[in-house]
Amino acid sequence: MKLAKALKSLFLIELLRGMRLTGKRLFSPKVTVQYPDEKTPQSHRFRGLHAQRRYANGEERCIACKLCEVVCPALAITIEAEPREDGSRRTTRYEIDLFKCIYCGFCEESCPVDSIVETRHFEFCMENNSERVIDKQRLLEMGDRFEAQIAADRALDRPYR
Amino acid sequence: MATIEINGKVVEARDGAMLIEAAAEAGFAIPHFCYHRKLTIAASCRMCLVEVEKAPKPLPACATPVSDGMKVQTRSPKALAAQKAVMEFLLINHPLDCPICDQGGECDLQELAVGYGGDVTRFAEGKRVVGDPDLGPLIATEMTRCIHCTRCVRFIAEIAGTRELGAPGRGEHMHITSWLGGQVGSELSGNVIDLCPVGALTSKPFRFRARAWELNARPAVAMHDGLGANLWFDTLRGQVLRARPRDNEAVNECWLSDRDRFACAGLHSDDRLRQPLLRDRNGWREAGWDEALPRAAQLLRNIVDNRGGEQLAALAAPSQSAEEYYLLQKLLRALGSPHIEHRLRQGCFTAQEAMPLMPGLGMAPEALQAGDAFLMVGCHLRKEQPLLNHRVRQAVLNGAAAMAINPVVWPSNYPLAAEQTVAPSRLAGALAEVAQALAGGEAGGEAAAMAERLRDAEQPLILVGAVAQMGEYLGAILAQAMQVAEACGGRVAFLPEGGNSAAAWLAGAVPHRGVAGSHAPTVGKHLRQLYAEPVAGLLLLGIEPERDSLDPAAMARLLEAAEGVVALAAYDSPLLREHADVILPLATWAESAGTQINHAGLWQSYRGAVAAPGEARPGWKVLRVLGNLLDLDGFDFNAADEVLAELRAAVDRQGAFAPTPWPAVALPDAPASVEAVAALSPYSVDAMVRRSPPLQAASDAPQPCCRVHPALAERLGRPQRVRVGDGAASAVLALEIDERVADGCIVVPTAIAETALLGALTGAISVEQAA
Amino acid sequence: MMVQSRNPAADQGMTELSEQSLAEIDRWIAKYPVDQRQSAVMAALRIAQEQNGGWLNRALIEAVADYLGMSPIEVEEVATFYSMYELKPVGRHKICVCTNISCLLRGSDEVVAHLEQRLGIRMGETTADGRFTLKEVECLGACVNAPMFQIGRDYHENLTPERIDAILDRLD
Repeated sequence: MKLAKALKSLFLIELLRGMRLTGKRLFSPKVTVQYPDEKTPQSHRFRGLHAQRRYANGEERCIACKLCEVVCPALAITIEAEPREDGSRRTTRYEIDLFKCIYCGFCEESCPVDSIVETRHFEFCMENNSERVIDKQRLLEMGDRFEAQIAADRALDRPYR
Repeated sequence: MATIEINGKVVEARDGAMLIEAAAEAGFAIPHFCYHRKLTIAASCRMCLVEVEKAPKPLPACATPVSDGMKVQTRSPKALAAQKAVMEFLLINHPLDCPICDQGGECDLQELAVGYGGDVTRFAEGKRVVGDPDLGPLIATEMTRCIHCTRCVRFIAEIAGTRELGAPGRGEHMHITSWLGGQVGSELSGNVIDLCPVGALTSKPFRFRARAWELNARPAVAMHDGLGANLWFDTLRGQVLRARPRDNEAVNECWLSDRDRFACAGLHSDDRLRQPLLRDRNGWREAGWDEALPRAAQLLRNIVDNRGGEQLAALAAPSQSAEEYYLLQKLLRALGSPHIEHRLRQGCFTAQEAMPLMPGLGMAPEALQAGDAFLMVGCHLRKEQPLLNHRVRQAVLNGAAAMAINPVVWPSNYPLAAEQTVAPSRLAGALAEVAQALAGGEAGGEAAAMAERLRDAEQPLILVGAVAQMGEYLGAILAQAMQVAEACGGRVAFLPEGGNSAAAWLAGAVPHRGVAGSHAPTVGKHLRQLYAEPVAGLLLLGIEPERDSLDPAAMARLLEAAEGVVALAAYDSPLLREHADVILPLATWAESAGTQINHAGLWQSYRGAVAAPGEARPGWKVLRVLGNLLDLDGFDFNAADEVLAELRAAVDRQGAFAPTPWPAVALPDAPASVEAVAALSPYSVDAMVRRSPPLQAASDAPQPCCRVHPALAERLGRPQRVRVGDGAASAVLALEIDERVADGCIVVPTAIAETALLGALTGAISVEQAA
Repeated sequence: MMVQSRNPAADQGMTELSEQSLAEIDRWIAKYPVDQRQSAVMAALRIAQEQNGGWLNRALIEAVADYLGMSPIEVEEVATFYSMYELKPVGRHKICVCTNISCLLRGSDEVVAHLEQRLGIRMGETTADGRFTLKEVECLGACVNAPMFQIGRDYHENLTPERIDAILDRLD
């Protein structure tokens, strides 16, 4: 055993083996993506930043049933509700704490009206601690911004639901 | 007893018991919607179908009485098939709107549908939609969800006794509504919210605010009438969102009056005091407790040192906790003042020495149901003590006689065997006639009828209520009531309006007695004496002076005459702002630990359901620290329990209490002019109730109008509006003509803004036509 | 299907029970135990309906409730349960056509068609001149001479278009 090890060490076998791998990779096609100039493909089920959707007539979908709030394993969602002027059930406060959120997607699963969704948008940042909590207005803005893609993604997933 | 077999288990059941009860006792839950243990049996939902041996078809367990040898299967394939079929029918027309339904999460239909419902509907036709009646500010309706169990109809008819709800229409057109879709006026109407097994009837103030699963239920004891109904406060993020009854057969069964249920909406009112307030040269400013408490203590100390303890008095609202009363009187008496008073709405203090240890029934509310004769004197029991009235009503339905001597014929929800309508000054006289008739003397028709019913009864009970309490004739009325009770072998129950009057009496928050009726070395001034001879310093506990006193004008003068006023108050008040020097924010009973002592003498302790807003603190803590700052001994309590233990020990030490015998009180003369009757709306009794928006929108809310008998209206010239007053102040109010009011009387609302600065609404009052 | 409270029409018709109606209701009340006045509710409603030209309004339901010591909603329950009580104005003659199985087999659909065509109204409607109201009813127990209809208190049986015309012509 000792002899074999000494020979290996003498002829730099390990080093050459390593160099062989390096040489192979040097000439093979590259898989590294040059983010942010390049991006990896995304599943339509990707769970990124949250959004609240509206119906086509502009009415918000959320009916304050609070199922997302109760299903959330990280207790990231806070909802307050009361009757709106027209008597319908609406939230007066809908907040998600993005630091608590674990992006599990349960909120979306539990929503009976497909209001709260997780978009494919994942490149977001914040400069103040307070910005980690996003409110109803921002969620609705996200929904308005990505509605086309959100709808297309849900349509793609429809056969599996 | 019948021996039956349920699911193979041999069960002994009471004769006449229904299968569903026997099964429940044996531990087998049978699904049901329309069955309720307190209501009659309708068997309309059919959910409780079970298989009974030798019966050709499944039988409804709620309507099948047990019989010996019966063999029942509650979960056999046949029973389950029947139950599932019924569920499918129930779900045919039930909307799938659980996510927006307030009942979601605490819904019987939702829960049973998990066990018995199918996952796919076979009903492809259009569903039935039902229009919603507006049942008022308390009950929200969504009648499409109704499954026609008729619990609400049966409750309103059988327990509330008003038959305001019904189910017109037939078959598919049947729906629950009120006459012409109008408001439900019963004082117990809120219970239909609990009874409704689906989301058809839900709480309007609570509408859409929270879901059942996120609420924390905290036990509490209601402090709006002397019953001390047990309830749950459902809280979320430090806010009380609603109240629900907590079952206690000995107190409130499973019911709650609307007042107890919806008063909590006044808890988070905007004018809650959140910070100690100090008056300085520039007016009011907010301060910390570390500044406010020494200032308050200094103020009290200065008065005691400079003017003597005799120049200090304490007034407490009649709905504070026993601990607070105890500490308040301990503080005052340690400072050398005997003037402590909680009877702010009492109009007469003669014969206070003869009062029993504490007011109340002197027996369990349950025992009322077994009573056989009730005579209500100056007592609008139905609105003053709604759940006691329910017990009396049950007794009347079982054959008891209820009678009334009142200044107004109030609509009763049970028939009265005899009734007299007389002016307040004549209440005692009317009682005297009954006593005379009992003694075998001559008497008029109604008095003789009353005497006869009282004589025939085994346990006659004379209920003297808040209407008598608020007049200047209370002493005479109570004295005559005692005469009647003695003559017929009955007893007198004095039921003041305060939520914790019994505790106040027992804890010594009265000027003439110490703790547990012990002898007071010096007898202090009662409220009228204080009004007549004001003192230099005042300590107020939980009072809103404009509204909590029978005589707000005298109260204002009392505050004005005082040099130093320390107020512990939960709610802001203009009079306090005008006259107080220090205002300390007080936690209400919903936010602090305390004890309620009810009509039956039952001690019920509670813990705060939520934290008080801002810097507000429980009264016992504030009084304890005041005691420390004033260097008084015996104020080293660390918990409300310790205060209670000391009070209990004092009560136990005191032993039996023997009041002085009733003195002869002369029958009062009727005033020469029009006589005032103070009308205290059930929804103005305390500060919290007055701030509850749903109650203030309800039909029993105070109305700024006077009522008189047509004959008096004629004499006054049938005016639209009248000016009522006592010389010093007057108010202009609308006039309603009402033949139910005794002639010669004018019913004037008290505890409302319009009459806030009138004197006591009792005795003579000037009434003239107003422009 | 929408279920709405069919509250009786408010501001038409009589508002009080006449002396004569009250006397007649008293006769019915006398048939029941003293403490069960409400047993006379069906008769009282019928009497009130006859007094008011064949239909019940709000005021009359309240009057009946008041007189029998019931609450109005209880009386409304009765009035809406039975199809013989009308809650909106009807014509002078209410033609109750049986369309139940026996009459249907014997051609009640033709009777209905003829009536509708002759009067120019549909089932459940009233003619503009206030003469006739057409109403579909269930079996009136005269199957032996089907098809039939009832006008007022009279049964008219073995109906044919000619007989119907003759019957209607005789009515004012």
